[in-house]
Amino acid sequence: MSTPTWRVRQPALTRSGLTLYNMGLPLLLLTLLSLALPDFRQLQNAQNFTGQLATPVLAALGQLFVALVAGIDLSVGSVVSLAGCIIATQPDALSGICLALLMGGLVGLINGCGVAYARVHPLVMTLSTATFLQGLAYLILPIPGGQIAAPLVQLANGNMLGLPYAVLWCAAAVLAVATLLYHSRIGLHLFATGGNPHSAYLNGVSVARMVVLAYVLCSLMAVVAGIYLTARVSAADPTMGASIALESVAAVALGGISLTGGIGSVSGVVLGAVSLGLMANGLNLFGVSPFFQGVLTGLLLLTAVSLQRRRHIGL
Amino acid sequence: MQPTSHRADGVPAPLQVALKQVSKRFGQTAALSDVSLQGVGGSIHAITGENGAGKSTLMKLLAGVYRPDSGSLSLNGRDLHLASPAQARAAGISTVFQELALAPNLSAAESLALGREPARFGLLKHRAMHDAAAAVLSQVGLQLDSHRLCGSLSIAEQQLLEIAKGIAADAHIFIFDEPTAALNRAETDRLEQLIKALAAQGKLIFYISHRLEEIFRFCDTVTILKDGQLVCTKPITELTRDSLINLTVGRQIQSLFPPRSNTVAVTPALEVRQLQLYPDKPAVRFTLRRGEIVGIAGMEGQGQRELMRTLAGEHRSVHKDVWHSSTPGSASPLAQDGSSQATVRRGLALIPEDRKGEGLYLSMPVQDNLMLGLLRRLGLTRRAPRDTALLQQLMQRMQLRGAAGVAVGALSGGNQQKVMLGRWLASGADTLLIEQPTRGVDVGAKYEIYQLLREYVAQGGAVLTVSGDLLELIGLCDRILVMRQGEIVAQIDAADATEEKLIALALQDLPATSSPIAEEALN
Repeated sequence: MSTPTWRVRQPALTRSGLTLYNMGLPLLLLTLLSLALPDFRQLQNAQNFTGQLATPVLAALGQLFVALVAGIDLSVGSVVSLAGCIIATQPDALSGICLALLMGGLVGLINGCGVAYARVHPLVMTLSTATFLQGLAYLILPIPGGQIAAPLVQLANGNMLGLPYAVLWCAAAVLAVATLLYHSRIGLHLFATGGNPHSAYLNGVSVARMVVLAYVLCSLMAVVAGIYLTARVSAADPTMGASIALESVAAVALGGISLTGGIGSVSGVVLGAVSLGLMANGLNLFGVSPFFQGVLTGLLLLTAVSLQRRRHIGL
Repeated sequence: MQPTSHRADGVPAPLQVALKQVSKRFGQTAALSDVSLQGVGGSIHAITGENGAGKSTLMKLLAGVYRPDSGSLSLNGRDLHLASPAQARAAGISTVFQELALAPNLSAAESLALGREPARFGLLKHRAMHDAAAAVLSQVGLQLDSHRLCGSLSIAEQQLLEIAKGIAADAHIFIFDEPTAALNRAETDRLEQLIKALAAQGKLIFYISHRLEEIFRFCDTVTILKDGQLVCTKPITELTRDSLINLTVGRQIQSLFPPRSNTVAVTPALEVRQLQLYPDKPAVRFTLRRGEIVGIAGMEGQGQRELMRTLAGEHRSVHKDVWHSSTPGSASPLAQDGSSQATVRRGLALIPEDRKGEGLYLSMPVQDNLMLGLLRRLGLTRRAPRDTALLQQLMQRMQLRGAAGVAVGALSGGNQQKVMLGRWLASGADTLLIEQPTRGVDVGAKYEIYQLLREYVAQGGAVLTVSGDLLELIGLCDRILVMRQGEIVAQIDAADATEEKLIALALQDLPATSSPIAEEALN
């Protein structure tokens, strides 16, 4: 339809999905918390905070790939748990990591093929694998524990000149994902697939393969998150990743990424995860009960998402 | 214009593409049967025919979207097997699809490069991509920042971008599918220049359109399709306007429309005394009387849809003073913020243009879809009547072939449209608001629908209809209102109306495209 001059023009379209809300929320929380809580300003807390933050950031970066192709991956949490259990039960760290990555790739492949080729709805597909993998994690490691190699533990908990390794883990992941999304053909094809799959197909993009790839990348990132988490707490637990699936989706939504595909950014994911983390950290320091924390986080999510979502065309 | 490639030079034999006896079926319907077609480089070749004649299907075979069930394609004498759009593109065939195929979240440069991005080790060369985009955009005369996202471009810009994509890919066959459907006159002129420039370079252009004016202006050869079959291919010089129409329709148009009634309509059904659709536009005023069919003409998106939807109670208006009367003298105003339920209860029904999305319950059988109209007259607690006699009567009146138990989704477009119409006739609605009464409907069913509407108004109903098909408005209606930029700018008796008159009225003073195209870039 032509756009007659007398019609109200749509607001400018962005591909990042970032708005003032996404960027302002973490800043606002940071300011509020550092003003209100002396404890928050301690270096100890900052290190603690980044340590806690790394797992959701890593998992949410994976979730970003899936969200960009208009999917959702709820198996992320179970993949984190299972990766932890594999590492804790393997005799040496290297074989554990390799096995875990292999498992992640396979899970992503199954999820992706189910969604792209068998046309199962992503919610159903990934919820099924999530349940399956959770069971598997219980079978491998019925009771929490296990042995984690000391160097691996050091890699997650140490710091370099006061800079926690957790930050390095995140930085490396952000760099890798940003390079892939913004500077590679694969990234462009992912955006095209999410923006208009039919158009992408007409232009010679193998849409189904892109969807599969997104799920594989998502599961691999979840494995990385699982490796980090296991090393950080130097033990595994079959339910250790339980909350991460929804956390990663929440971070993605808070970061302005459209769940209908094609719109999102790496910085949005980081900002979203930081907002969620700050909320949890602050409420902890305030001594708010964990149950009530859930209530507040849910409200925050709903508010933030309803403030931004309709700004995008088609949402 | 610069030659786009070395290929254009030094190849003496003109390009030749041929489709030999291609057929394509979709389920029950034969979209194409045994169609043969030949195109030569340098020619602008029109493909025309009615809705559903198979024009788009034919071109989608060349575009690699569909594969023919039988028959073959060849390019310069060699067999051409296109398994995907990507392969068609690689073979040098570029298509500007009717449903524009741009991802809204990609920049102009990315869209142009998509599928063949400049990259090293899988990493994009952004600079090279934008440089190439700038070069090709200036070739089509589109002044545009190559970083702009496609979703923010106007339809005309998107179309030029699609053409630029073909040039960038060094295509030598261009397919345009109804490219001017959403363009105004100035934009159409620019498109004409561009297409002619391409043809002058020896490219082959297939131009799908049912607009006579454009076919005579742009094209040198015309292929006419009817009901999926080839009627003929002729040079434009051998055709006149009338002979082309007769070949397309295959029968005299006059016979397609039932005769208008002789009695003068007096009783008002819907008095639109003042209806302000936009805050900065004057109000719309007109009266729809019992016994008449009034049509609304205009270019796409001039407020026709808003007018219909506001009358139906779906949209809110700035100011609404509309009176509706079911029986003479019983006029009462529609509520300012009337809901669509309230409007339907008064006997005012909207038949939406998107029958699959808004009109019908595709998975439900015909009888249930029809019965929904009757249910309107019953309370919530009453059971649906299983009154097959009534249903039979209705189906007979609608000439709905096929069993009552068939899911509506399995019917042809024409029969679906009749089910929708039948539902509202069964509901006892006294005034119908119809958007695009016969879009995607075959000729036979069109005729039946026109008959039904005439019968309906002869029995005291009133119909207000919007249609993009001017001939339909002229043939079907008693009066035609012309809308432009949210206003009714003219009203003419359908008996005196011609396509030219209506187009002239609809186009006057329409603003040109927001980003003017440099004329000099086209030479």
